[in-house]
Amino acid sequence: MKKTFCSIAAALMLALPWRAEAAPVKIGFINSITGKEAQIGENLTNGVTMAIEDLKAQGVQVDLVKEDDGGDPKNALAAYEKLVTRDGVIGVVGPYTSGCANVVASRADQYKVPLLVPAAAKEEITMKGYQNVFRLNAPANVYSMVLMNAVQAYKPKTIAYVYAATDFGVSTVKTAQENALKMGLKEVANEKYQQGQPDYRPSLNKVKAANPDLVFLVSYDADAILLMRQAKEIGLAPKAFLGAGAGYTTAQFAQQTEISNLVVSATQWTDDVNWKGAADFAVRYKAKFSKVPSYHAACAYEAMRIMALTASKNTTAPKLRAALKVGSWSGIMGPVKFADYSGFTNQNNHPMLVQQIQNGLYETVYPAQFSKKKLIYPFKR
Amino acid sequence: MMFLQSLLSGILTGGVYALAGIGMSLVFGVMNISNFAHGDLMMLGMYLAYFAFTLLHIDPYLALLLIIPTAFLFGFMMEKIFINRVINHPHQNQILLTIGLGLIMSNTALLAFSSDPKILTTSYSSSAVTPLDGISLSLPLLFSFAITCLITAILYLFLSKSSTGMALRATSQNREAAQLMGINVAKMSAIAFGIGTSLAATAGALIAPTYYIHPLAGHSFLLKAFTICVLGGLGSVVGAAVGGLIIGVVESMASTYISSDWKDVVVFVLFLAVLLLRPEGLFGKKGGQ
Repeated sequence: MKKTFCSIAAALMLALPWRAEAAPVKIGFINSITGKEAQIGENLTNGVTMAIEDLKAQGVQVDLVKEDDGGDPKNALAAYEKLVTRDGVIGVVGPYTSGCANVVASRADQYKVPLLVPAAAKEEITMKGYQNVFRLNAPANVYSMVLMNAVQAYKPKTIAYVYAATDFGVSTVKTAQENALKMGLKEVANEKYQQGQPDYRPSLNKVKAANPDLVFLVSYDADAILLMRQAKEIGLAPKAFLGAGAGYTTAQFAQQTEISNLVVSATQWTDDVNWKGAADFAVRYKAKFSKVPSYHAACAYEAMRIMALTASKNTTAPKLRAALKVGSWSGIMGPVKFADYSGFTNQNNHPMLVQQIQNGLYETVYPAQFSKKKLIYPFKR
Repeated sequence: MMFLQSLLSGILTGGVYALAGIGMSLVFGVMNISNFAHGDLMMLGMYLAYFAFTLLHIDPYLALLLIIPTAFLFGFMMEKIFINRVINHPHQNQILLTIGLGLIMSNTALLAFSSDPKILTTSYSSSAVTPLDGISLSLPLLFSFAITCLITAILYLFLSKSSTGMALRATSQNREAAQLMGINVAKMSAIAFGIGTSLAATAGALIAPTYYIHPLAGHSFLLKAFTICVLGGLGSVVGAAVGGLIIGVVESMASTYISSDWKDVVVFVLFLAVLLLRPEGLFGKKGGQ
């Protein structure tokens, strides 16, 4: 008993002064808290909140300075400048949208304060050789690549594209076309649509007439449900529906089992992937916020964890930058390392996941080493 | 086959557009007011159908029996409280008032129902019938079209046979003369606005099972309804019905034979062409506004 007491006392004596000495690390966080992207922004905020709590439990105190960009690149840049000049943060996590992240990234080298982008997909962000810009998530081209790789084994021959006439839609399909060319897939239909229309049947009928093996879709929120409903109505049944966009990865979409079953989609993270702590993160997130975490939440959590952990040991911006450059981590987003490859600088070569809705649930089906379930191919109603 | 499919699909969608257009045209005809809150009234119809379905478990088409009188009362009151105050004022005042009312409705809906789109899934939401091989017709759109035809027929009979209907038409033709003949034009305005509102809400409820429900969903239909009214001739109920079908078919054909991305361009080029050749619209009277 005495021995135990002594050892506890000794441990406390050792631990307490160290705790008291560790000054909080000052990190900035730019996010779309208001504005059009607020719904997804909430996921990022929650992810960061959980990261800060977990870090605190590990003895890393974070002095977090939050900034809202409202989804506007102008505000994002102003927020970054305020964080680095007035607040004196040594590292910044964010912003969420591609537009905002791209603008902030262009100034990071000027202020020499590292920026860690958690979830923005635009390729250019890490393609301009910026030394102070790091990105955790996979860029846009990987969305289409991973989807096509997942079905390559089944030797599809033709592909049709149906996508929203937005930046995201057009750029994702552009990379998809390049990947399809490499795979030797023949393009048989290309239907770009204006969002929010009540009737997509004419476009879908054209796709049906071309009888493609794969239908590649990029749509936001409710359009995804509308398109799949009308596809069912007209009897469009290719060998696989590949959904690249946000609309095919929402809980609302999965709930529409009649139309969403067996739709394949690409994502940065799932809760059933076998990366360390992923499942546990999802459980804790659900308990805390009564919501299912999206991949954005996981990205933001991991980005903040990496930034704060590294910053706690490297207390100036240049040291932090150097440490981010050479370090490697492993957590709920799998192995993370910021590397220079195929034109990218400080880009984490994040393996994207392919999920398929099976009986109303998103199941990870590709790559095989990260998944528990098998891809069901061909698609059937 | 593609042509026939496209034509039929366009007619079915056009039916719902027509209903939205008729409501707007009727209000314009009787009151000489362009109702820019029309899209938001459609949105209210969508939410009414949604809540009738999710809370009361009433089929959205059956719920029309509740929605039509509710919307009529709402429109009637709206006219009595707000619209009749600007009835003799310049057009820009009326437009500002209706836009303002629309903004209040859509933003209240945003506060109350949040910006998450709602989906109304009935057992037949994604069903279709195939009358011919290679032709598929959406079941909910077929229902909507049948109901639209029924409502239009009832409205036609009401306007041409009933005394209130005749009084409405008289007010539409000449407000002053109608007043001199002893018609209560203030009451007629309120009735017209009530009918216009219930037609908008009906159009919203009819499209709800095949569309998504969102506080700003009415805005894209407002532009369509307005185009349909002008195309058919402002104030002409028949014109609005035909205009709606034309827009539906042209959109469908443009998507099939050009590109879905270009269908609005085609619609508005056609619209401009009609206005150049017949400035009063297809069924408008010469010398009308």
